[in-house]
Amino acid sequence: MFNKINSRNVLKTLALILIVSSVLLGCANTSDDVSSSKGTNDNMLTFAWARDIGEMNPHVYNPSQLFAQSMVYEPLVSYQEGGELKPHLAESWDISKDGKEYTFHLRENVKFSDGTSFNAEIVKKNFDTILNHIDIHSWLGFLSKIDHTEVIDEYTFKLTLTEPYYPAIQELAVVRPVRFLGESGFPENGDTSKGVVEPVGTGPWVLDEYKVDEFAIFKRNENYWGELPKEEKIKVKIIPDAETRVLAFEKGEIDLIYGEGNISLDAFKQLESTGNYETSISEPVATRQLVINSKKEQLSDERVRQALHYAFNKEALVEGITSGYEEKADYILPANFPYTKDIDAKVIDYDVEKAKSLLEEAGWVLPKGKTIREKNGQLLEVELMYDSAEAIQKTMAEVLQSEWAGIGVKLNIVGVELTEQVQRFKDNKFDINFFSNYGAPYDPHTFLNIVASEGFGFNEAISAYPNKDELLKQIAEVTKTTDEEKRQQLYSAILTSIQDQAAVIPISYIKKTAIYQKDVTNFTFPANRDEHPFTGISIE
Amino acid sequence: MVTYILKRMISIIPVFLFATLLTTGMIHLSPVDPAEAYLTAAHIQPTDEILAQKRQEFGLDQPFFIQYVNSIMKICQLDFGISYVSNKPVWDEVTNRMPATIQLALGSILIAVLISVPLGFLAGVKKNSVFDHFSRLLSFIGASIPSFWFGYLLIFFFSVKLDLFPVEGTGTWQHLVLPSITLAFPLIAIYTRLLRASVLENIEEPYVLFARTRGIKEKTIMGKHVFRIAISPMITGLGMNLGKLLTGTIIVEAVFSWPGFGRYFIEAIFNRDIPVIQCYVLIAASLFIISNLLVDMIQMYIDPRISRKEGYKQ
Repeated sequence: MFNKINSRNVLKTLALILIVSSVLLGCANTSDDVSSSKGTNDNMLTFAWARDIGEMNPHVYNPSQLFAQSMVYEPLVSYQEGGELKPHLAESWDISKDGKEYTFHLRENVKFSDGTSFNAEIVKKNFDTILNHIDIHSWLGFLSKIDHTEVIDEYTFKLTLTEPYYPAIQELAVVRPVRFLGESGFPENGDTSKGVVEPVGTGPWVLDEYKVDEFAIFKRNENYWGELPKEEKIKVKIIPDAETRVLAFEKGEIDLIYGEGNISLDAFKQLESTGNYETSISEPVATRQLVINSKKEQLSDERVRQALHYAFNKEALVEGITSGYEEKADYILPANFPYTKDIDAKVIDYDVEKAKSLLEEAGWVLPKGKTIREKNGQLLEVELMYDSAEAIQKTMAEVLQSEWAGIGVKLNIVGVELTEQVQRFKDNKFDINFFSNYGAPYDPHTFLNIVASEGFGFNEAISAYPNKDELLKQIAEVTKTTDEEKRQQLYSAILTSIQDQAAVIPISYIKKTAIYQKDVTNFTFPANRDEHPFTGISIE
Repeated sequence: MVTYILKRMISIIPVFLFATLLTTGMIHLSPVDPAEAYLTAAHIQPTDEILAQKRQEFGLDQPFFIQYVNSIMKICQLDFGISYVSNKPVWDEVTNRMPATIQLALGSILIAVLISVPLGFLAGVKKNSVFDHFSRLLSFIGASIPSFWFGYLLIFFFSVKLDLFPVEGTGTWQHLVLPSITLAFPLIAIYTRLLRASVLENIEEPYVLFARTRGIKEKTIMGKHVFRIAISPMITGLGMNLGKLLTGTIIVEAVFSWPGFGRYFIEAIFNRDIPVIQCYVLIAASLFIISNLLVDMIQMYIDPRISRKEGYKQ
């Protein structure tokens, strides 16, 4: 029936599988072993991040990671606490009276990590390659308004705009694309859009070792012009899974987990409660808002929108859902942004009776024996759209549904995919939607720009505002005015009007979280939402 | 046998065509516009003009059938297009990450075979013994536990608590142990049961009785006769599961930060990097097809009756 050869073949096949597998395992064994043990090295800080750092090119976007780009490349101006704009690679700047000409006096002792000096020529070269691809970068307002750039002398660089645009200085603080690559990093044709030769920047860190999807090690730039970092190295471990990051942190392989959503709130709370680690929560970086579409008939009356604002216990909602890691928001932009400190908008406190009387006033009455208000035979029934992948939005939607049911409003909640959510928002196919602004250093002007631009969702959502045209005019004016005082007045007027008419309802201020081992000291959150948090950090 | 293999090879073609049709079709049906996905990934403000230009560039303005033919022509040359996110050829991105995934898959096959063969065999031979009960318990757990959770448990006990293995990453053989076990566990559950059932079935066969009457030692009967035949369904199972193994790496690679191809796929999904998704689905489909063919060939090699039967049919 079966000869012996066949049985030997079975064994041979199995043996072959074993041998091939062991050889491959063996290969793994001999490959370089990069600090497989504890990450807590004496002079190296190990940091976990969800995604590969990407190409270290200052002039590209996704999938390059902002924090990594900001470690190597620096801006002319830096964004600091409370929206203060401080000199960085530019020591000072003059703005012409008409607000169109910006002259930057560059810091003179700055060297790139390869030893070449930073000067006006290289600033211009970087601007040129960026402006050659303006279609990619036009989202950053001042870039599309640049008329020309010129080198005045070795350390003086001049930027001329086609029209006055005050946020130019603020926008120079963003992480990409207006940061500076050294001469040797440029490809021969000077076009960085397809890649850089090597990541040469002026920043405090230099990319030392890098393995795609595994880790990146940055070492201190010993030529750094500013204060030298205390740590010699920063190791970025790429750990895509949030729970694995927590486990690696617990084991001590990681010194710091930082960011937005890089650790689940449950895990954060649990680790915090052990008392074995340090935790820290940042100032607000953005506002979570509800955008109410006033084009929808039921929502076109300001009183109805206000009633919705009055009718939910914001404090309990935010506290309950985010365990206190977000903060109840009274204003549509956090007060720690430029021009947002003293906004006079009316703060709405939880008041169900007030909400009910507003609805009555607006003609929405509750027929006997029914639970949903009606007006002229129409039901007060609206829909709230949320990102189905975001747990916080989903839970908030559920709470709002039950809170608003209490005042006779039927809220249907619909979870959609993020792209679909954005698309429906843009196409004005929504009643109520979640939104959050970009944050520092983009706001307040970027938020207002989104509100004013057609096709982003807001412009259409505020259609029922009687002063919409006036608002749009003011928004167009605010970036052009060169008068500081007038600018503040305009911002106050615009933000107050948008909020008081209740098409945008602030819910909570979003914050960053950080958790680190006890031996990590001097951790501070960067004021710029996209920057790295390693300035001054050290391990004892 | 050669004609049989040739025939099978030819039969791959329609299956492959169907798989490409499905991937192209699915992308058509999804609400995501590839041109818009590209622009969003590249951080370009999608205006109607740029959208139209990109659609033309990707050939999306062509009728579906032409798009389909074009994509097949390209795929035949291993041209899966350019990743929307990295702007590099998808095939290069994928092949760079393949070795890590293959390493993981082989590691887990090795573990699965090493554990399930003796366990399944002994469970079958010694029915209702401790071995049998243990293998049953293991199989129940293996079949029902979600692999990501099992991965966390392994990390928690063997890495965080006992400090035997690193939590994540690559580099040494220690790094391979936990992810391989995680990936192997459901396979062990299946193979153990498969082998046990097959052994029990064979023990009832007349040839075993015949061998016993010839006075052959029980050990020889079990080890040489029964084992050789009983292992055959397991080889089928192993082959059938190659494709599953590949897709199983998606979760395991994410949990253990393994720099492979499955993790790359997840990121592609988040970024709507359509060429990468398409490439992945096709590779997975091809692997299913090829592994099935391979299994059939190995089966024929082990058990010549199969090819003879095929011969009769012709």
